[in-house]
Amino acid sequence: METFKADVAIVGAGGAGLRAAIAVAKKDPKLKIALISKVYPMRSHTVAAEGGAAGVVQAHDSLEHHFHDTVAGGDWLCEQDVVDYFVAHCTEEMVQLEHWGCPWSRKPDGHVNVRAFGGMKIERTWFAADKSGFHMLHTLFQTSLQFPSITRFDEHFCVDLLVEDGRAQGAVAINVASGEFVMIEAKSVVIATGGAGRVFRENTNGGIVTGDGMALAYRHGVPLRDMEFVQYHPTCMPGTGLLFTEACRGEGGFLVNKDGYRYLQDYGLGPAEPTPRNKAMELGPRDRLSQAFWYEQQKGRTIEGIHGSAVHLDLRHLGHKKLRERLPQICELAEEFMGIDPAKAPIPVRPAVHYTMGGILVDGNCASPLPGLYAAGECSSVGIHGANRLGSNSLSEICVFGKVAGDHAADFARSAKSAPSATLQKQADAAQMRALSLVRGNKGTERISVLRREMAETMERGCGIYRLGDEMQKTCNELENLRERYKRVKVDDTSSVFNTEWLLAIELGYQLQVAQAMAVSALNRKESRGAHQRLDDYKLRDDANYLMHTLATSAGDGPPVISYGEVKITHLPPGVRAYGAAGEAADAASKAKSAEGKAP
Amino acid sequence: MSASNARRPYKRPMGGWWRKNPYFVEYMVHEGTALFVAAYALLLLAGVFALGRGEAAWNSWLALLRSPPSLLLHGVLLLGFLYHTWTWFNIMPRTLPPILIGGERVKATTITRAGLAAALVASVLVFALAARLAS
Amino acid sequence: MKAAPRTIRIEVLRYRPEQDKEPVVQGFDVPFTDDMSVLQGLQYIKDEFDGTLSFRWSCRMAICGSCGMMINGVPKLSCSTFLRDLYPNTVRVEALAHFPIERDLVIVLDDFITKLHKIKPYIIPKEPRALSQGEYLQTPEQMAQYEQFSACINCMLCYAACPQYGLNSSFIGPAAMALVHRYNLDNRDGGRAERDPYVHSEEGVFNCTAVGYCSEVCPKDVDPANAVNINKTESAKDYFLRFLKPKGAQA
Repeated sequence: METFKADVAIVGAGGAGLRAAIAVAKKDPKLKIALISKVYPMRSHTVAAEGGAAGVVQAHDSLEHHFHDTVAGGDWLCEQDVVDYFVAHCTEEMVQLEHWGCPWSRKPDGHVNVRAFGGMKIERTWFAADKSGFHMLHTLFQTSLQFPSITRFDEHFCVDLLVEDGRAQGAVAINVASGEFVMIEAKSVVIATGGAGRVFRENTNGGIVTGDGMALAYRHGVPLRDMEFVQYHPTCMPGTGLLFTEACRGEGGFLVNKDGYRYLQDYGLGPAEPTPRNKAMELGPRDRLSQAFWYEQQKGRTIEGIHGSAVHLDLRHLGHKKLRERLPQICELAEEFMGIDPAKAPIPVRPAVHYTMGGILVDGNCASPLPGLYAAGECSSVGIHGANRLGSNSLSEICVFGKVAGDHAADFARSAKSAPSATLQKQADAAQMRALSLVRGNKGTERISVLRREMAETMERGCGIYRLGDEMQKTCNELENLRERYKRVKVDDTSSVFNTEWLLAIELGYQLQVAQAMAVSALNRKESRGAHQRLDDYKLRDDANYLMHTLATSAGDGPPVISYGEVKITHLPPGVRAYGAAGEAADAASKAKSAEGKAP
Repeated sequence: MSASNARRPYKRPMGGWWRKNPYFVEYMVHEGTALFVAAYALLLLAGVFALGRGEAAWNSWLALLRSPPSLLLHGVLLLGFLYHTWTWFNIMPRTLPPILIGGERVKATTITRAGLAAALVASVLVFALAARLAS
Repeated sequence: MKAAPRTIRIEVLRYRPEQDKEPVVQGFDVPFTDDMSVLQGLQYIKDEFDGTLSFRWSCRMAICGSCGMMINGVPKLSCSTFLRDLYPNTVRVEALAHFPIERDLVIVLDDFITKLHKIKPYIIPKEPRALSQGEYLQTPEQMAQYEQFSACINCMLCYAACPQYGLNSSFIGPAAMALVHRYNLDNRDGGRAERDPYVHSEEGVFNCTAVGYCSEVCPKDVDPANAVNINKTESAKDYFLRFLKPKGAQA
């Protein structure tokens, strides 16, 4: 087996992985970095993010506002000290990207422009038209090319982590082109593999978003935190689930039901006004908007199509010129995929799975409980999204915490000694044998596509926008059964060169474990909070019992063991989450109260 | 890539590449019309040589030009020229830096049309001049 | 509600290096609905008929650049090419032209990645700036200079459209040249002199004969032919001025 000796190994080369690699390279050019990705970096799913990235810039905005929006948006399940750090560093990271060439959209005077986004009190979303993720990813990737200390392992599929002496010491990967294995030794490891949205059926995610890194950490005993919180994005293409960015609404788009009525005003988000008002109506948070869709569907006020119910995203009043300038990709998607000119007709949309709020348990330094193992980006749970992520916080997160993870992994690597190669080699050989057993002498009977479909369907039924105890229980049972059947998974392709079926089989193994962590975490949270909404006896938030992080710890072949961890609350105690006019009234009341408190 | 592994990338042959796509066939045709331009240049060059060799040679060159095969050749060359001009101005927008007028970028079709119009005007002027010299 | 699916014939050029001496065509009859892309057709084949068929894909929305292939002889993104537009004819799918085939519809991309490194596609600051100084100023007009060239998704359709690249793969090619141009035109950048030697070299812009097909097939309207051809002027100046310089002077 080929061996590469690195100081820091980074698994995943999307936004967070690239940012981490650059951080390590800048911190100490002597540290050797192995950047491992199952795809070429520019294919990573950061590329598909559209709307933009949050960072306070306007004079009338403040870090406290961003903090408040984030914590309340997350239904108070955020680590407040981490959110503090986050909001304080977003803008610096956005400026850093600008210095590296990111083509942020500008105001006429040459300064960066910002747009409104859901759940954000003041406009603070930096954007590059509606291809923000694309431009951020390409900027980071191209910037990374100037650092000779970064050795990339493109199209190398990670099959296991090396853990020796109780700490992470590298990774084992398949070179996809040749089918050969590579052992990458490292003194610290950063996981930045993104989310796991593909465990659901209708989703906005790329085919590669299969929770690999989450499963890798989980298998080595690292808990997955808050996995029950899965975000449904309210405006997606029926059938494929492709995303129509929240920026459509930030720019002034309307959501209407089959009667042309702006139904969000019926769900505590009003009043309906002709122009966007922050934190109201279409600029409410994603969980609330997706939930409102569900109710409209129950009331029979949605539009029925071949891919189920939909509502209309109406952008006509924005006009052709503004649409082309601010939302070119949305126009392209509507026209090419649906044959709709958004300047002339409304776009049918419905909610689809978009983002996994939970992930690998890490502290504010992106360090997991396993020494030497760090995680950043969607695969991690650093604690800023709580029970519901606000749009434009995740693109900022990959930069802020990509850097933190890189910096700390670099420090760890500089002080750590590596284990003798022979013991690591033994582990790598074992990992290779496990992976090869799928293609050598495989006598399986279960088709990958069948298992994958059944997993996605049961996740959608049990862990959708609204959840029921018995449905979740059924999903847990079915997942247990699917994991059992997975042991007999069939792989037709026994070749070495670019064997994608082999990789799909390994990915399915990752997905099933992550799905199980989600479903069991959901079943055990007997309250409703953020993206976890129950329709049975637990319709309300229950701070007395569940102002806690869920921790799912792997128990081998069986379902995870669930435990709970404290939520760090520094200065914003749990309050009522209100939007629209009610939200403004609540804000005014709390302001009056604090003014009263300050009065001598 | 090491010889020990199973990779064996396959390189497809390029033979006859220009026949595989109508776009390439058209490209070869319009590039081919450049030969028409070259042919006419040679014809004119022959005239210059004839002029240098005296009046008799010049007159016989003129007579050759007036012969029916020559007129046919000129007709064919003209068609080749026209097609070459057309395609030349069609590709022109791809070779120019963006032209901004009043903050708006000039469209490719506008550039092509302007080029074709300029070619037309120049041809008319040359023709008028020639007609005047001949009369 | 659902209309009965129609069936379309998809012929795929297969190449499995461990068993095929050279590529062979394999046909499949695929049921499809009106919203299905060629990519979804291939996924159907992989899921239902033959798990060994290999192709790259990810985002499904024409932005990750993974799924380029020759569809009826034309370089296209398979995710945004729809079966309804090709029916009732047979669809012929092949790996992107001009690249070595790794396997089935997967091409070898190493050459482009090497070129990416060579063109220095990052800001080489004209004036260094500290983070504390905030962003560089860039007016919308200054951004408009390069914005179109920054839209390249590296999908490689333009290389599959460039016969000159097919005949001589050392040619820098359309997408890499678009990126060179993108950074050269950025008012924050001062790196042109570092990129020019490669652009003006034997492998540079003068391999282009203005076929223009690269820009025709570009799914993002980058117009790489424009980037290449504008730089020919610069390259020509560089070539001729070289003779006017005293011997031994830096080019």
